Amino acid sequence: MIDQKTLAYINLYGILGALENLCELVPEAGELLTNKKPLTIGFDVKGGPAASITFYNGRCKMTDGCGKCDVKLPFGSPEKFNGLIDGTTTPIPSKGYLHIGFLLKSFTALTDLLSKYLQPSEEDLKDPDFFNISTTLTLYVVGVALAQVANQDEIGKFSASNTPDGSVMLDIKGGPAVELVIKNHHFICLKKRPEKYRASMTFVDVETANALFNGTINALAALGVGKVEMHGMSNMLDNVNRILDRVSLYLA
Amino acid sequence: MSKAKEKTEYPCYTTTKSDEWYARAAEVIPAGVYGHLGPAEGQFIPVNRWPRFSDRAKGSYFWDVDGNRYIDYMCAYGPNVLGYGDPDVDAAAIKQIELGNCTTSPNKIMVECAELLVDTVASADWAFFCKNGNDATQGAILTARAHTHRKKLIFFKGFYHGVSPTVQKIDYPGVTPEDVANNLYTAWDDIEGFKRIVEENKGEIAALIAQPYDHGNFYDNKFPAEGFWQEVRKICTENEILIIVDDVRTGFRLDLAGSDHYFGFEADLICFCKALANGYNMSAFCGKEFLKGAASGLSYTGSYWMSAVPFAACIACINKMKEINAPALFKELGTEFTEGLKAAAAENGFDLVVSGAPSLFYLRIANDDSLMIHQDWIAECVNRGLFLASHHNHFINASLTHDDIKESIAIAEDAFRATRKLHPEIG
Repeated sequence: MIDQKTLAYINLYGILGALENLCELVPEAGELLTNKKPLTIGFDVKGGPAASITFYNGRCKMTDGCGKCDVKLPFGSPEKFNGLIDGTTTPIPSKGYLHIGFLLKSFTALTDLLSKYLQPSEEDLKDPDFFNISTTLTLYVVGVALAQVANQDEIGKFSASNTPDGSVMLDIKGGPAVELVIKNHHFICLKKRPEKYRASMTFVDVETANALFNGTINALAALGVGKVEMHGMSNMLDNVNRILDRVSLYLA
Repeated sequence: MSKAKEKTEYPCYTTTKSDEWYARAAEVIPAGVYGHLGPAEGQFIPVNRWPRFSDRAKGSYFWDVDGNRYIDYMCAYGPNVLGYGDPDVDAAAIKQIELGNCTTSPNKIMVECAELLVDTVASADWAFFCKNGNDATQGAILTARAHTHRKKLIFFKGFYHGVSPTVQKIDYPGVTPEDVANNLYTAWDDIEGFKRIVEENKGEIAALIAQPYDHGNFYDNKFPAEGFWQEVRKICTENEILIIVDDVRTGFRLDLAGSDHYFGFEADLICFCKALANGYNMSAFCGKEFLKGAASGLSYTGSYWMSAVPFAACIACINKMKEINAPALFKELGTEFTEGLKAAAAENGFDLVVSGAPSLFYLRIANDDSLMIHQDWIAECVNRGLFLASHHNHFINASLTHDDIKESIAIAEDAFRATRKLHPEIG
């Protein structure tokens, strides 16, 4: 069973949060934002998360809350915000009508480009560069989604309550990594390779990572055949794996 | 001086055939080997340094499909209590095979087995037989609920009481919130927390189900504080809450009369499995007289639960454990081994923490806070023929010899040296 509030957190911090990385990794994304004045869009979800994305000089950055934004998009419920992500809701700004053009053009083009990388076609994946960027972005989305499920979802919170403090690294061999920082059973995902960690789960190749993220293979089975390597505090990984199982439910 | 004592270097094994068998297994068996004997739950880190399938076993050893011999301190996770292929137990089982095993009318040996358990276990007035530890814990829970007409159960955090949905956790695959809706959790050895949970659920709690001491995985095992069990017993009696002791793992390795007897209190229901019959498949839960009626009324049975061969093996096993005073022997052997390991660790710059009962010792290298050094050392041990686990308590069996222990410590020392090379930060 999916909790709409948890999904809203995933959609805001995980999916829209990946726009930051899209702009860094895909030149086409950065080009959509060049020669434009800095602009901040706020997403305010009633009974859910609130965050802003500032677009500037070919880049963008997400910050918590939407107190200082040029365009404010209010959503009456997590369900309505989730509708924005799956394309069933058209948002109406409560502030910043003058910037509606950016919303309709640049922002829509950016999110379409993000969808292309997060829901890739088989044809696109044949390009090694596209494949690597797609996997990197997927790892980032999964890492952030994992933290949201740990902090918001009722069953995820149970797993988090059994997870000791410390950092867990999720990485793809020879590729990107994320760090899950756990303190007092609260999870934060940092999109970087940690210097020090108490446990690690390494996917030996991007295909394995993709299969695990979309739930087509199981981590325990993958471990047995050497496709996933684990090291360190297994009780942290045990709980992270249980949360990861639920992430695939939300991202399906 | 024995050869084992002279040898200081142990070459690493190859496990090519294990790899091949595992690849075959993964095609037709979920996860290749699921559960605690498999690479995931068994914490085979890294997987290719572990045997995945055995070929044969005898005494304290098993040989894998590559022909490598292992001195085994996991004992099939407990059932190997007298030694693999113990001649007395096997002779009793073979004799019973000739007389009949799984029959329409249960063999009379079932009665003799129950009588022996009642005579042996201090808190047992009757015995109810089944197959696995999970059957025993579930049978005890059903009995407690049937007797009290209450639904809630108290668990100490870090528990493991089998695999039925009731005793799993809400985040486990296939378990629903409804399956565990009547479960209450409190910390081990926290009497105030225990009192609070009893007060908050007055008149609703059927039973406390607990291991006699905290032998959970991934952390140092903990004995109860002085008087803990006596206080818990008092609170439970006052509130008509039954105490179910899960002695599946610890049973007969601490005390032949039951681990409640060892810690000086009386369980209402007590569950056994692993050490009952030296690997022959049976389990039992035993209880006080006042619960016999409730147990009699259960709709609880199985096709093989009254098979006679395991009863014959159980009788031979319990009698032999009594004859050799098995708990004292396990304590002596476990202490000798763990003291030797600690000395070898210190000699090589490792801080090896040993916890739990010597017969069920738990190991942890405390040089880092991630278990990574510990896992690397365990892998070096296993890959040289000393089968230990990085996450779970171990088991002593009665066939273990002093020479086996000497050889085990020599392998462990070689593994410490190899681990130091992997971790120059140890110095």
